[in-house]
Amino acid sequence: MDLAFSGWSGILILLMYGLIMLGVGVITYLRNRNIHQSLDEYYLGGRGLGVMVLFFTFFATQYSGNTVVGYPPSAYRMGFEYLVSVPFFIMIIMAYLLFAPRLYSMGKKYKLVTPAQWFEKRFKSKAVTILASLLMLYGLGNYLLEQLVAIGQGVSGLTGGTIPYQVGVVFFVVIMIIYGWLGGMRSVAYTDTMQGIALLFGVFMLLIGSIIYFGGLPTSADYMQAYSPEKLGVPDGPGVVNWFSLLVLIGIGAAVYPHAIQRIFAAKNERTLKRSFSRMAWMPFLTAGVVFIIGIIGINAFPGLSEGESEQLVGMMASAVASQNVIFYWAMVLLFGGVIAAIVSTADSVLLTFSSIISNDLYGTYINPEASQHKKLLVGKLVGIVAVGILILVAWFPPATLYEIFVLKFELLIQIAPGLILGLYWNRLHSKAVFAGMLTGTIIASVMTFFDYSLLGVASGLWGLLINLGVCVIGSLVMTVSVVEEEEAKQVIGM
Amino acid sequence: MDKSKREPIKNWKLWIVFGILLALITPWYFPTSFGEILIYGIPLWALLIIFASLLLSAFLSYVLKYHWMLEEEEEEKEEMKKGVR
Repeated sequence: MDLAFSGWSGILILLMYGLIMLGVGVITYLRNRNIHQSLDEYYLGGRGLGVMVLFFTFFATQYSGNTVVGYPPSAYRMGFEYLVSVPFFIMIIMAYLLFAPRLYSMGKKYKLVTPAQWFEKRFKSKAVTILASLLMLYGLGNYLLEQLVAIGQGVSGLTGGTIPYQVGVVFFVVIMIIYGWLGGMRSVAYTDTMQGIALLFGVFMLLIGSIIYFGGLPTSADYMQAYSPEKLGVPDGPGVVNWFSLLVLIGIGAAVYPHAIQRIFAAKNERTLKRSFSRMAWMPFLTAGVVFIIGIIGINAFPGLSEGESEQLVGMMASAVASQNVIFYWAMVLLFGGVIAAIVSTADSVLLTFSSIISNDLYGTYINPEASQHKKLLVGKLVGIVAVGILILVAWFPPATLYEIFVLKFELLIQIAPGLILGLYWNRLHSKAVFAGMLTGTIIASVMTFFDYSLLGVASGLWGLLINLGVCVIGSLVMTVSVVEEEEAKQVIGM
Repeated sequence: MDKSKREPIKNWKLWIVFGILLALITPWYFPTSFGEILIYGIPLWALLIIFASLLLSAFLSYVLKYHWMLEEEEEEKEEMKKGVR
């Protein structure tokens, strides 16, 4: 995104954000020197996150820089039909109610560190745990890749190209790795808090500036009535189907992201977790709702943009608002710094979860279970850094073919949902059925994505999920679980 | 199971309410004319969706507070013990 107002002030603000993040890492390190001996302390902040910090760290996993930069263009193109972005974020909290209460209890009872560890505990099957771990690692890796690309593009856009893409990526990745290394989950959660506040402030300033400068919703509605009444109209049949599938897909999908699940384990207690969720239930109005209004105002402010041009909408509006006066100028610089910080905060959460699965599940359970916690941690951190290095190379030299293998994220991450959720409640769920379901779901979702094949307008990830669920349920009913196994499962769940 | 323990998934009444709210936040039940009536620049149907979304958030807050109670009592007892010591 090119901004007329950026340049040196942009560089200054990015340096400032970078230094604050580093500072958070160093302070966390000095105050918690013992965390590098314990997976619990490092990956879950000692299971002691309070309401505010837990809330902001959930907030950062759900709302990324993309929410601010990418959602207004969608609202611009679709009009009020994109209002769906508000309820779909609320749906995530409803999806949590399906499994978070019991998963928190299990996490506490068995000192779970990662979602994969729950699979190990529940199914006692190496195949299931390793498959689930690999799916999560693969999905998280691609998710991280996407964030790294976004950091580079954001930095070079904000500074008007003064800082090249590569320098931007390396600068923030190094900072992210340092503060992550120093303070683990605590650093990540504290920086998430700072990043979340910066983003919220900037978005509100953009809204206020846009209303003052371009006129509010009534002005925009007059324009739509005259030139594009369909953007005000009630969604038609396919529009309603699309709306509903977004509600379901995003609700369940975002709730089972591994880094989101891991935060359930990091809560100080049940009450803290409940309060954080309760706040999250209201946030969509202040975040998705606000960026939606900004997009709608954009319809009147910059009419007739092509699809490609509309992607730059937020930059154009911010540039116009920034040229009004010095307060708005700095608010907009803060906003774009905040957008990049938000992308970094999503990336750091993903990286931490990635490392934890290596430390705790693959290395710590199967490769070298005898290793000390210190060593397990070290292996996780180092593998995380190597993975980031490889992803940076992929981001710089995108392969000409097979690029689709780097696109799969959501399609794969969602495949762990049936085993995870059904396993919490259904003692007769068969581990072989879970494995078969996960594998077929993954293959179907991947092949459909790979060949860009869609059926009945439903997303490929959802087809994979439905078949996965079917195999899990039917397989478990056909292959009878032995009485001993059923009793074992009952013991594990214990509720 | 302990009676004082409450888990949202086991309470089917809650899920009926969630089902109704899910139906209300999906725009299938509006006549076309609701797209032409504007209130402060917002079409009437969108306003009703926002209202239904607020209801969903409120109901979620209520369920979180009063219908999810698995560990809280024990955790509070532990807290008390620590406090006394």
